[in-house]
Amino acid sequence: MAKQTFTTGQVLTAAQMTSLQQTAMGGGSPSTKTASYVLVAADAGTVIQMNAAGSTTITVNTALFSAGDSVQIQNIGAGVCTITAGTATVNTAGSLALSQWEGGFLYFTSASSAIFFDVVQSSGMTNPMTTAGDTIYGGASGTPTRLAIGSTGQVLTVSGGNPVWATASSGGMTSLASGSLSGASLDLTSISGSYQQLKLFLRNSQFSSAGTEIRVRLNNLSTGIYNAINNFNSNGTAGAAGNVVATSFYATYNTIAASTTSVMMIDVFDYVNTTAHKQVQIQFNFTNNSSQIENTSIRGACRTTNAIDRITVFPDAGTFNAGTYELFGVK
Amino acid sequence: MIILEHNVETGEVIKREATAEELAQKAIDKAEALALESEIMAKAQAKEAAQAKLAALGLTVEDLQALGL
Repeated sequence: MAKQTFTTGQVLTAAQMTSLQQTAMGGGSPSTKTASYVLVAADAGTVIQMNAAGSTTITVNTALFSAGDSVQIQNIGAGVCTITAGTATVNTAGSLALSQWEGGFLYFTSASSAIFFDVVQSSGMTNPMTTAGDTIYGGASGTPTRLAIGSTGQVLTVSGGNPVWATASSGGMTSLASGSLSGASLDLTSISGSYQQLKLFLRNSQFSSAGTEIRVRLNNLSTGIYNAINNFNSNGTAGAAGNVVATSFYATYNTIAASTTSVMMIDVFDYVNTTAHKQVQIQFNFTNNSSQIENTSIRGACRTTNAIDRITVFPDAGTFNAGTYELFGVK
Repeated sequence: MIILEHNVETGEVIKREATAEELAQKAIDKAEALALESEIMAKAQAKEAAQAKLAALGLTVEDLQALGL
């Protein structure tokens, strides 16, 4: 029911009350339009319903409505109906273009200005996924698009502005060998020359004999070609730095107490270079959680120009009692 | 003496007896380690002795460092 101006003594009919009630509840009989329409003053409080196959407009002009007036607008036609500011101002946080089955309220804040509260009936997203592991990404104009799961080991990357699963092309660490420590020596042989650096970890290693030292040898070379400087911290006290030339690298220059657990990291840089000596760093930490806590850092070079394809780690006495090893190639 | 040999190319892991050559090398390594231990111990003892002499003179390591020594 359009907005009324009631007068003293006027009698409301039941039909008027029903219509007013509907309007108050946001409903009411619509005034259907089939072509573009310009709002008039009598539209205040009514429902304007557009039903057109093609695009239409509903124009809002000034000096027709009062502050507080409202007009409900619906579009049930296939054509887009656009709320158009004629001589009045129309503000909205949503869209003034209404697709079929969309609508909203024009609320006038003055005779020349209105706010359109857009009530968009979202149709929701159609699920494009079909297979376990699928994901969804925004395709053209944000259209939900299926991305099929990649294969084992592939990583998610970007190609042509879209996410894709692809094989990691370069960089990173590749595990070359791993296992449990045992015996008097760990001898890693036939190491691939396809990397820039080798990184060997010994984790939670323990030794059968107290009083041993741990040594590292490259290519089983056992002449005095291992130059190194050693720094260590023993139970919180700086140990003497040792400049050593030996037949292997020493991962520690202090004997290891019983029940000691250690962690070692060995880096062999540029190991396939056949013109330069091989630079090596070793970090070796071991502790028995009481009387011995030692941290050792060794920097040195093995004076060979041969490519390295073998690394041997061994205690001077006894055997490896426990622990694991893992060799990585690094690019 | 058992050697844990891991062929990185093939992935084959074997435990084998050390060869005579490796056993001989082990003895050399042990001797070298003992010599190195002795050398480090000697250095540590020399350091302690020097510090004792300094103390007898009423000096400390910090005093020497203050002199730029």
